[in-house]
Amino acid sequence: MQHKILVVDDDNALREMVGIVLEAEGFAVSYHDAGTGALEAFKSQSPDLVLLDVMLPGKDGIEVCNEIRSVSGTPIIMLTAKTESEDVVRGLEAGADDYVVKPFDPTVLLARIRARLRPLTSASEETVQIGPLTLDIIGHEVRRGTEKLLLTPLEFNLLLTLAVKPKQVFTREMLLETVWGYHYKADTRLVNVHVQRLRSKIEDDPDNPKIVTTVRGIGYKAGQS
Amino acid sequence: MKLRAAIDWALGLFRRFLQVRAVFTTVVLSGISLLIVGGFLSYSIGNGLYQTRVTQILDESERGVVEVQNTFAAATVTDEIALQTLLNSVVPALESSGSSDSRKVALLRTPGQLGAQILQSPISANLDTAVIPVDLKIQVREASGRLTYQSVAIAQPDGTSHPGIVVGSPIEIPLAGKYELYLVFDLNGEQQTLDFVQTVLFWGMLILLGLIGAVSYLVTNWLVRPVKVAAEVSEEIAEGALDRRLPERGEDVIAILGRSFNRMADSLQKQITKLASVSKMQQRFVSDVSHELRTPLTTIKLAGEVIFANREKLEPAAKRSAELMNNQIERFEVLLNDLLEISRYDAGAVAADFEIQDVNGVVGSAIAGLEPLAQSRDTVIQIDIPSGPVDAEIDGRRIERLIRNLLANAIEHGESRPISVAVGVSEDAVAVSVTDGGIGMTRAEVDRVFDRFWRADPARKRTTGGTGLGLAISLEDTQLHGGWLQVWAKPNQGASFRLTLPRRQGMVFTQSPLPLPPRGSVNGVVNE
Repeated sequence: MQHKILVVDDDNALREMVGIVLEAEGFAVSYHDAGTGALEAFKSQSPDLVLLDVMLPGKDGIEVCNEIRSVSGTPIIMLTAKTESEDVVRGLEAGADDYVVKPFDPTVLLARIRARLRPLTSASEETVQIGPLTLDIIGHEVRRGTEKLLLTPLEFNLLLTLAVKPKQVFTREMLLETVWGYHYKADTRLVNVHVQRLRSKIEDDPDNPKIVTTVRGIGYKAGQS
Repeated sequence: MKLRAAIDWALGLFRRFLQVRAVFTTVVLSGISLLIVGGFLSYSIGNGLYQTRVTQILDESERGVVEVQNTFAAATVTDEIALQTLLNSVVPALESSGSSDSRKVALLRTPGQLGAQILQSPISANLDTAVIPVDLKIQVREASGRLTYQSVAIAQPDGTSHPGIVVGSPIEIPLAGKYELYLVFDLNGEQQTLDFVQTVLFWGMLILLGLIGAVSYLVTNWLVRPVKVAAEVSEEIAEGALDRRLPERGEDVIAILGRSFNRMADSLQKQITKLASVSKMQQRFVSDVSHELRTPLTTIKLAGEVIFANREKLEPAAKRSAELMNNQIERFEVLLNDLLEISRYDAGAVAADFEIQDVNGVVGSAIAGLEPLAQSRDTVIQIDIPSGPVDAEIDGRRIERLIRNLLANAIEHGESRPISVAVGVSEDAVAVSVTDGGIGMTRAEVDRVFDRFWRADPARKRTTGGTGLGLAISLEDTQLHGGWLQVWAKPNQGASFRLTLPRRQGMVFTQSPLPLPPRGSVNGVVNE
């Protein structure tokens, strides 16, 4: 199955070059060159993944990210020229799944894209129960009672990883490897920000979490300790 | 030692405060002046009182003696009894005459005359004739008809003594022969007056001294206060409150000081603000340039990779070009990252990510990263590390980068001779040294080794393609950790870089666990 990727970047040369690299790997690529209209492009193309530059004319990448997240959980990877924490954290808080820093290697970009498009590791059961939540693995759905919760694939994957081994404490590095597909030391803020986003969707009181709890100094686990 | 502590405290006060010194000096000098004036006044008054009294006493005595002489001359006594009666009347008469009631009289027969003393010598009650000095008696006997006097101390029944004057005169008494008339005057009244005056003077001067102290305190306070305010404001400006100023009131010297001070502060503030904005602009520029370069560099890098991946399909010249371009793009990226890192340090925007880590592990992965380069240069890396982990609170990413950089330099300048890497540890510090046996450096080169874009020998060919910012960033990284980065070098003997870091952040160390210069080397240049 050919995946569709939307590249949103205002730099013509870079956009075209990224397209060449991606098409060489067998992806179907569509383009948009500004922040304004990016959401419309997303809606008309309905891609499997979005590559989004942070610095865009009109609307910046973070706004676009927010807009896309309000309608869809499609994976978003930010392209950023700044490694300073503020920029990266703002992008992640807006709902981006991952980020790559310019100038990036084509191999790195492809690895990040593939990690996001990879199908979920199939669990043996069809549903997993965690606290008041029911995870439907086949249907990619989370229910609290009869209420359906809207999680992005990444958030679903994160919750599922924790839920299938409810007794185990996961370090941030372990989560980076299993959920994000990083095999070397990576930015642990990815985990922190996404756990926060996940909690804000599934917890009754995100400041006092009951489902995904923090194990001080180590990482996270499902359920209360 | 309470006294000792009090003295130390007072001395400290004295040294620290101009005002205390000024008041102290004023009081001491005024005290000396008052002592001189008081002594003079006291002496003059005492002397004046005494002289007046002596004159008065001599007048009275003169009159008394003449009276007595006249009494005896006028009397026509024939028998001893009448003479005795007359004699006895002399003493009370003299006692009661004159202004002073505190006089005593003695009429003594001059010894050494022919005939026995037939008459009784009349003496005032309570008068001890011992009070009359012997030498006065001799003088009286020798003086003919003149008054002679001498000051004495008159013993009192209560054990004290009053000052007094004894006046003596020889007297001829018909039928009885030579007598000596002594009048003893008690000067206690004058002494009391003098004592009173002295007491008043003493207290008066003490009060005056206190007032002088208080006045000098007020005056110096008034003068010192603006100076104190100036000192406080300077301190605040020094601490960064550049907009603090002194009040400018009046036309006096203090106001002039205030105005000059404020002008100076204005000009300083202007200069500093200007420099700061220039420096900020420059840092911003470097940061912006680095960021702006990233997007085109990404395109170039992606394009380069595509061409490089397909190099086998190219002509030999184009293929080599693709390889060269690929290498140089990497170098360009490293340079850009170093530039950005330095600009972050310059902007003070670096936050370390401290974590307790095994330094041996960090050193190991740095060596592993450079093993290919070392092999390509036929360089052996010898390792001398303590057994077991060496934990330290460091930013592992920065320290690994730092050690990699030291190793790359050692390989580049090591002339393929072995490089030794050592790790040392003590209670409060951990050290890593990288030593090569290569071309080394001269004194002048050692001094510049941490400068940006400085290269030991511009004529030397560059092979590993360092950015020239490596050691500058290494030094910044070291300072971020609160550590030392030191270098020893000697031309054609090699160079040794030693990194010393505290075991935990905030720990203070005074000595590095590793020696510099390294064991077995001598006579190099060490740059602290």
